Amino acid sequence: MTKTKAGLLAATALMLAAPAWAEWAPSRPVEFVVASGAGGGTDNFARTIQAVLTRDGIVESPIVVLNKGGGSGAEAFLYARQNEGDPHKLIFGTNNVYLLPHVAKLAYTVEDLQPVAALALDEFLVWVKADSPYQTVMDLVNAAKDAPGTIPFGGSQSKDTDETLVALIEQTTGADFKYVPFNGGGEVGVQLAGGHVAANVNNPNENAGQWQAGAIRPLCVFAPQRMAESEPVSGDMGWHDIPTCKEQGLEIESYQMPRTVWLPAGTEPEVLAYYQDALKKVAESQDWKDYLAKTSQSASFLTGEELARFIETSEANAVKVFEAEGWTAQ
Amino acid sequence: MTVKVFHAELGTAIATGLLGLAGVIGATELGHGWTESGPEAGYFPFHVGLILIGASLWNLVAAFLKHRAAGSDPEEPFLDRDKARRLGVFIAALLVFVIVTLTLGIYVGSTLYITWSAWRQGGYRLPLALGTGAGFAVALYLIFEAIFRIPLLKGPIEPLLGIY
Amino acid sequence: MENFDLLMHGFGIAITPMHLMLMVGGVLMGLIVGVLPGLGAPNGVSLLIPLTFALDPTSAIILLSSIYWGALFGGSTTSILFNIPGEPSSVATTFDGYPMARSGQSTRALTLAFMSAGFGALLGVIVITLLAGWASNFALKFGAPEYFAVYFLAFAAFIGMGSAAPMKTLVSLAAGLLLASVGMDSVTGSIRLTFGFEDLLGGISFLVVVIGLFGIGELLSTVQEGLRFRGVASKIDLRDVFRTIAELPRYWATYLRSGAIGIWMGITPGGPTAASFMSYGIARSSSRKGAPFGTGRPEGIVAPETADHSAGSCAMLPMLALGVPSSATAAVMMGGLMIWGLTPGPMLFATQPDFVWGLIASMYVSNLIGVVLVLATVPMFAALLRIPFTIIGPMIVAICFVGAYTVSNATFDLWLVLVFGLVGYLFSRLDYPLAPLVLAMVLGHKAENAFHQSMVLSDGSLGIFFSNPLVSGIMAVGIALLVLPKLVSMGSRLRRRVPVE
Repeated sequence: MTKTKAGLLAATALMLAAPAWAEWAPSRPVEFVVASGAGGGTDNFARTIQAVLTRDGIVESPIVVLNKGGGSGAEAFLYARQNEGDPHKLIFGTNNVYLLPHVAKLAYTVEDLQPVAALALDEFLVWVKADSPYQTVMDLVNAAKDAPGTIPFGGSQSKDTDETLVALIEQTTGADFKYVPFNGGGEVGVQLAGGHVAANVNNPNENAGQWQAGAIRPLCVFAPQRMAESEPVSGDMGWHDIPTCKEQGLEIESYQMPRTVWLPAGTEPEVLAYYQDALKKVAESQDWKDYLAKTSQSASFLTGEELARFIETSEANAVKVFEAEGWTAQ
Repeated sequence: MTVKVFHAELGTAIATGLLGLAGVIGATELGHGWTESGPEAGYFPFHVGLILIGASLWNLVAAFLKHRAAGSDPEEPFLDRDKARRLGVFIAALLVFVIVTLTLGIYVGSTLYITWSAWRQGGYRLPLALGTGAGFAVALYLIFEAIFRIPLLKGPIEPLLGIY
Repeated sequence: MENFDLLMHGFGIAITPMHLMLMVGGVLMGLIVGVLPGLGAPNGVSLLIPLTFALDPTSAIILLSSIYWGALFGGSTTSILFNIPGEPSSVATTFDGYPMARSGQSTRALTLAFMSAGFGALLGVIVITLLAGWASNFALKFGAPEYFAVYFLAFAAFIGMGSAAPMKTLVSLAAGLLLASVGMDSVTGSIRLTFGFEDLLGGISFLVVVIGLFGIGELLSTVQEGLRFRGVASKIDLRDVFRTIAELPRYWATYLRSGAIGIWMGITPGGPTAASFMSYGIARSSSRKGAPFGTGRPEGIVAPETADHSAGSCAMLPMLALGVPSSATAAVMMGGLMIWGLTPGPMLFATQPDFVWGLIASMYVSNLIGVVLVLATVPMFAALLRIPFTIIGPMIVAICFVGAYTVSNATFDLWLVLVFGLVGYLFSRLDYPLAPLVLAMVLGHKAENAFHQSMVLSDGSLGIFFSNPLVSGIMAVGIALLVLPKLVSMGSRLRRRVPVE
């Protein structure tokens, strides 16, 4: 209790002392609502931000983290709708916030949430087993064309980012894979290393360990340009040495997953400004840069107009895939 | 009011049968067939629901047969008057506790509940009972909110005390 | 011998005053977290992750894993004293632990549980030390059909021998399977059996059901008999602790078998909960003489506890070497690993020997600390039972509801606890077994997923479950466990009938 009180007092004191610092500041503990279970990528994202905000004193109120990962994260977004206008709740997700309502009948729409910022982009790569015959992504695609529906392609969850990407590859090239959904990226990585599936589209940090060990290798990355320079990971190859899929002749310009922060709809503009400012400070901190480097994600801080545009394009592209696959709900 | 084992068996079998029925109905909305890529989403709930209905019917019939075999012999009571009253009071208190917790928060709910139990059922003096209840709530607060930073359900009273 | 040198090197890293302090602190914290139902090890560990940024990775993992061990120990305490499993993996401990405590031997029950847990953990760590490389390669052989076979084996081992009426067992099992399928199905991506209720979207939490069925259900049974705990007039005597330790060697067969089951389930990602159930089931079906299980048999405590802890410690291996967590807590620790910039994978052992062997060495030390600390708390916990029921009863109720609430911060779960409390009471009064329901809730959905994945891979052919020696072998053992006891009992019935005719 004393800690909480001291925190509150400190926050009030700061507000009184420097009214120009921010027009609004939290007056009670801030809840970080995470749209994944403990230990998931979104969870690590939220807890890293929590650590930076608390340690650097950017947010003076205590921060508590709540995991609401049920229904692929829908639980967290429904919670946002139930807490409309509450300025002390931040929701952490990916693109699932605006994609889920398209594939499942859910009692919330993206209008129930207010985007605050995107802080990182997680990349997608095509991976195969080290001793697989495919040298480029087109080898894999052509093999799937020659024997439709036989090459098992692993991914995490169903009608989620992984399956969407596989469907996008199929629609772009006319290939036909056999998509097998597993529970998480780590599991898919091991299934590939064990040779139970032929390929997967994991994020870098989900497969880095197996790549390091030489059990699997990346074919290409779905980004407009190659990933940032890094230390060699496997042999003399680092992240930057992986070609983009476009270089290899697969006409998919980019496919990236944003790590996003949201507020419940209906809060004051000052609240939005406060959190945007706080998150900007996080994005500029050394701790954040370390986190991005360690998890091989790309830096990308988006707010306001830029963020709205990003969401619009990303949503439109995905919905095109959903419609072609017949996944859209309702 | 004496509840017989027969009645309890009947009620339970009907309840589990209804659960099975719910599973079957829910599964038919999803499709419960077997496609070339294996079972559809409703395949397992549908068949498990059917099994549950079947087994419940079996238990229902078994209870009836046992009841008839017993004939006019006095059957084993499920709950006699004494037990039923004790259990009724306890369950009613549980229900009130849940409702109070949902409206006033878990701290107020558990304080009142423990106080009531120690006072009315345990025969302790009210101040002592109240002290026990409040002490428990404070311990909860210290363990959950102060040490582990886990927010528990709060009602309208806590914010007035400056606790969020 | 190379591993032995590495281990000695690890001890050099693990045994520093700072690390010993972290271990003691972590184990104590874990004990608290484990004793409170709902507030499980995953919570405790994830709350501390942000704090660990200030530590170096080795100290951080030592702290987090110590919390895990502490929570595993603490989880058994409430299972035995109040029939409330503090952790999912200690459900099976309630089956014999609680009856033993109720018969006035709570000190013996607790001591048995803690010593078995410590022994199980030790077995697990030894396996990690000796077989690290081999075991992670072995785990790679497990694809979807093999996963299904492992779950099937766990089911078969537990269900094959049951004393309850078969149709009642079936009801319990089917109800559990149905409850487990509520919510989002990850293989098909469809939302099942929610009937439009938002509260059901996240599924029905296994922990909430267990808290209701066991905790509240048992309190109702107690209350029906009068407002006091049944037969807990035991005196607490520290000598009981030593007397119990002296009787341990008698159960050597149970120890070895349960340890082996735990190690197997820890490496193949079955997890500690499945391990404890399977071990209990096998101990029950292989015991010949003595009081029946479920009435306070010592083997009924030894078997699940040993398996739980050996699986818990072996589960660290797939996490470190493959990046596959086989328990919720391991998942959180793995998240920590990534934030600290360590990549779980086969190379972690080669690139970060200080970290890996420091952790393994610390597992020996912190489990030792855990056993000592937890044994010291036995008299204290046993004394809890002397508090008058009218005070401790409602406190247990409150803790049950708090625990259920903290699982996912949902008020709906409070109603679920109440409903399942009534169900638990009715079921135990009418001799419906609860264990199949619980096991079905733990493994049902996982087994269904693995089955479904196998069907996608094989284009709908069941032959995939007999497509290679590994999966056929596991399936064959499972089928044998399911069928053999029935055949044996049928055979003996036939033989008995002959002289009558």
